[in-house]
Amino acid sequence: MSQAPLPAQAAAEPAGLAARAADHPTLALTGILAVLVLVTGFVEPNYLSVSGARNTLLQAAPLGILAGAQTILMLTGGIDLSVTMIATGSAYVAANQSPEGAAIAILLGILVGLVVGSANGVGVAVFRVNPLIMTLAMSGILLGLFTAWAQTILQGSTQMGPFIKLLGGGSFVGNRVPYSVVVWALIACGLIWLLRRTGWGRLLYAIGDNEVAVRLAGVRVWQVRITAYIVAGVLGSISGILLGGRTGAVDLQLANAFLLPSVAAAVIGGTSIFGGVGGYTGTILGALILSVLNSMLTFLNVGQAIQQVVYGGIVLALAWGYAGLTRRA
Amino acid sequence: MAVRRGEVHALLGANGAGKSTLVKILAGVHPADHGVVHVEGRPISFHDPVDAMNVGISTVFQDPALIPDLTVRQNLQLSDIDEAAFTPWLTWFELEDLDLDALVRDLPLETLRMVDLARALARDPQVLLLDEITAALTADQAERVFALLTEWREKGRAAVLITHRLAEVRRICDRATILRDGRNVALFEPNASPDATNGAATGTMFDVDEHDLVEAMLGAEVTELEEKDESEALSPNQPGSRSASDEVAFAVRGLTSGDVVRDVSFELRRREILGLVALEGQGQERLFSLLSGDRSPSDGEIFVGGRQRRWRAPYDAVGDGVVLIPGDRLLALLPNLPVRQNLVVPLFSRIRQWLGIPADERQRVRNAIDRLSIDTRAASQVRRLSGGNQQKVAIGRWLVAGFRTLLCFDPTRGIDVQTKRETYALLRELAASGAAILLYTSELAEIPLVCDRVLIMHDGRFVEEQDAARATESSLLTAAHGLEALA
Amino acid sequence: MMAGLRSSCVALWRTGLARNTWTLGVWLLLSALLLWYATLIPVFGQFQVTSISKNSLPLVYLAIGQAIIVIAGGIDLSLGALLLLTNALAARFMDDQPFAMVLFIAIVLIAGLGILNALVGYIISVSGVPDIVVTLATGYIWSGFALWILPSPGGGTAPEFRWLFTGAQSGIGGTYVMPILMMAVPAILVFLLSRHTRLGLSIYAIGSDSVAARLAGLDVRRAKVSSYAIGGAMAALAGLATVALTGTGDPRFSVGANATLNSVAAVVLGGVALVGGTGLVLGAVAAGVILIMLNPILSAMGIDPNNAQIIQGLLIAGVMMVGGLVTLLRERSA
Repeated sequence: MSQAPLPAQAAAEPAGLAARAADHPTLALTGILAVLVLVTGFVEPNYLSVSGARNTLLQAAPLGILAGAQTILMLTGGIDLSVTMIATGSAYVAANQSPEGAAIAILLGILVGLVVGSANGVGVAVFRVNPLIMTLAMSGILLGLFTAWAQTILQGSTQMGPFIKLLGGGSFVGNRVPYSVVVWALIACGLIWLLRRTGWGRLLYAIGDNEVAVRLAGVRVWQVRITAYIVAGVLGSISGILLGGRTGAVDLQLANAFLLPSVAAAVIGGTSIFGGVGGYTGTILGALILSVLNSMLTFLNVGQAIQQVVYGGIVLALAWGYAGLTRRA
Repeated sequence: MAVRRGEVHALLGANGAGKSTLVKILAGVHPADHGVVHVEGRPISFHDPVDAMNVGISTVFQDPALIPDLTVRQNLQLSDIDEAAFTPWLTWFELEDLDLDALVRDLPLETLRMVDLARALARDPQVLLLDEITAALTADQAERVFALLTEWREKGRAAVLITHRLAEVRRICDRATILRDGRNVALFEPNASPDATNGAATGTMFDVDEHDLVEAMLGAEVTELEEKDESEALSPNQPGSRSASDEVAFAVRGLTSGDVVRDVSFELRRREILGLVALEGQGQERLFSLLSGDRSPSDGEIFVGGRQRRWRAPYDAVGDGVVLIPGDRLLALLPNLPVRQNLVVPLFSRIRQWLGIPADERQRVRNAIDRLSIDTRAASQVRRLSGGNQQKVAIGRWLVAGFRTLLCFDPTRGIDVQTKRETYALLRELAASGAAILLYTSELAEIPLVCDRVLIMHDGRFVEEQDAARATESSLLTAAHGLEALA
Repeated sequence: MMAGLRSSCVALWRTGLARNTWTLGVWLLLSALLLWYATLIPVFGQFQVTSISKNSLPLVYLAIGQAIIVIAGGIDLSLGALLLLTNALAARFMDDQPFAMVLFIAIVLIAGLGILNALVGYIISVSGVPDIVVTLATGYIWSGFALWILPSPGGGTAPEFRWLFTGAQSGIGGTYVMPILMMAVPAILVFLLSRHTRLGLSIYAIGSDSVAARLAGLDVRRAKVSSYAIGGAMAALAGLATVALTGTGDPRFSVGANATLNSVAAVVLGGVALVGGTGLVLGAVAAGVILIMLNPILSAMGIDPNNAQIIQGLLIAGVMMVGGLVTLLRERSA
């Protein structure tokens, strides 16, 4: 039902609408999002309220930030499968350091992303390890390290401090606007600025489109790649800290479930996994679509099984529709 | 074009005349936009290379269609070819010692050519398409191929031979079709007289003068006309700008890379356009990748502005103001990105340029687009632009970023006449404003129009230097074939 | 004459070794680890060999399937979910059935998942959507179905079926003959298929150079779909082995996701490059066993088994970095 609009329109008026949808993919995505919201409202009338929107946004913020990390890397033709372990690890460190004060906790948490991102970047850019393998191995290393450290150097608090809890789960303006959404909005502005209005952003797209040409144009491609992995790592950290703040307590499974959705959100948003094509606006819509979908399936009470099937079906349908649209154009 | 039984038909044309594309259509790789292929009188449409093989057309492509990660034997197995049908041909080519269990990746190119040819023959085809079969072969290997073709003709089978080597054409071909800019412009039929058709081996291409062939390939009359136009248009720039007193901007001494580029030395002055002429595959690609910092030479020195430079990457070369316009546009362009993104890449090569965008970016892009008159109607994706406009984008990148020495690899290959003229004019203009330009071109008619001096490269070495104004196509072509100049 | 024959055999053997250094290295590493493990513990015998071989069955099967798909130039992130799906179907329908029926179900599952994944391969080939995206999505679908069929861990299978994979009807103890046989037979069959049949060679061909493959007259789509079919069938086998090992079904999403990631790790460690066209199925088999064996070895060394994750990750990243460095140096010198 919900994936219907895109193919149906394309079939009805192949020339006009499909072409327009291909030129303005964000419009098509916004349409899908609107339909999903309305369907969810139909299922659960209470959803079309401030608190419904608040809950969806609370879910979407950490996912959107993780998907931002994925977007940056996918634009260069890379990917980060360790981003959820970075998130978990950062949340763990932040919880552990919470008694030292929020500032230190957050800074040390972000340090995790900085270090791991640099390691990923060096592996991919200098040693030319396939990004899938590099970050997969890194994910295993992090899981092992944090499992071991949880009993040794990171023993102690697994509770987030009050400030981080407020940041991750709290709201203001009469409990309407979540703080995490403000953080997300700031990051979103930053990312969109980076991608559209800086040389670094230009280079990300360029490398993803044709690395050899960028090299011949006199750019040191490895520098761009390493910084991209560092930025992705830091985004993972921020997302993990927000997520930890929302749940209050952290464990080693904290962000696990977000790995595939983070890739899916970017793909749905029109970022090509081969690089060079896409942007963060689409990813934001992708993250929102997945979050609304999640709410809808929860309200429908269909159980996790159907939820996963529908989830997978919609991701496939959107990716297929997108590929069809761009090829026709 | 028609190919008869019992003939060896030559398909000739300058680089980019459309020979390889025609072969690919005949072999079923590309579908034809228009027109029909007839086999033994019946119209046939090919969707797949298999279709062509089934009607008896076997092709040996320029790049051997062998799977690099498999052995020769496995490649045969894949094509469903009996070894018993294959090995006699190997013996014919004196390759009976070839290890069939060797990986294709590890074999030298000339052996692969022969293997590919032997495989095509093992299919027992009616028509054999050979795209540049002799290009990478040694002289005695080529002899074996000629012997084969002679016998092939006597068996009443047909062969189409695409080649640059005119001596070959005269020796073994019966007829020749000349292509230029994708059209067939001439058919040479030495034994066209009715009584000669019976005796298969009477008249051959031997009776045709090589210079007639060259003329037909280059389109002599057309170029002459253009030449007049051009020299008028360019005349203000020409004298004066070619002064020998200008400082040396770029120089190399003893540059060597394996045995592909051997001991190359030259000096390039400011305000000078130095031409480079070579047949395909004489080491010019490698030379340009050395000069642009993409590869390090195994020996030799590079000087910029009199100081020796050691480059580890194009980054360093660009930093010294030495920039490359690659011949293959796939190496220059970001095909899925807009014109503007393509033009600005070099502006961000240094880390301090990453955060932010120069305030005059838009202006610089606009200037470059205007100066090159790039057609921006399809500007959202460079791959949708025409070849000529793509080439302008590749050049425009360096107008935006600025440079001192420009390395141009065959900038006018496969682009229309109008853009070609604009490109010549632009190069002269750039040289006049102080740039040093090294121009490799496969279009010999360009040399006297654009260049000041011209160097000729053969088999990895510089074999001759000519004064561009006095260089003629035939003098250049003769030297490029590694021959002494005609008296 | 005989001497000539022998010397040519030796030469053949040498080139084979030189060409498959990586595969050979992985097998040597496996043997060395086994020997080392034997010296680490007081008694090394049937129990250890049985336990290692049967526990590595699911990963080895997945690695074989993933290897074939990667050799063809693709990647399948849904193999773990296919394992879950088979696991759930088998545990649900094999429960309390006679052995003959159980065998029948097993064969239907292997064939069915082969066809299912062939369909996925076809979708990839037609849609032009990258392999990784399509299989990411289908992975969700299959694990959703698994959960729908078997909402909570449970179900069972026939004791004889457990014996088939573990060598013991209870799944505990037993001899190593059956697990090793069950590992070797599919591995060798797929290996022979991949190296000595036209289909297998065309799978290598499309991964190595799909343009040349097309010029040589191969059906590129058919080879691609076939590689996914083999991958699906191997994932089904992995799911069946899981039922036999545990005696029950477990449809948790994370089990499938981890299995997928481990299969990719095993393939790469086993010398099958992700760009396609190179490597041997047998290398992935050895790498799969190594990844499983690290756990008992580390615990025998008195290291916290959690550190196995770290060692595993470092091993993969380290090996790939060395590989990258070697190619870098080779390019520089060329």
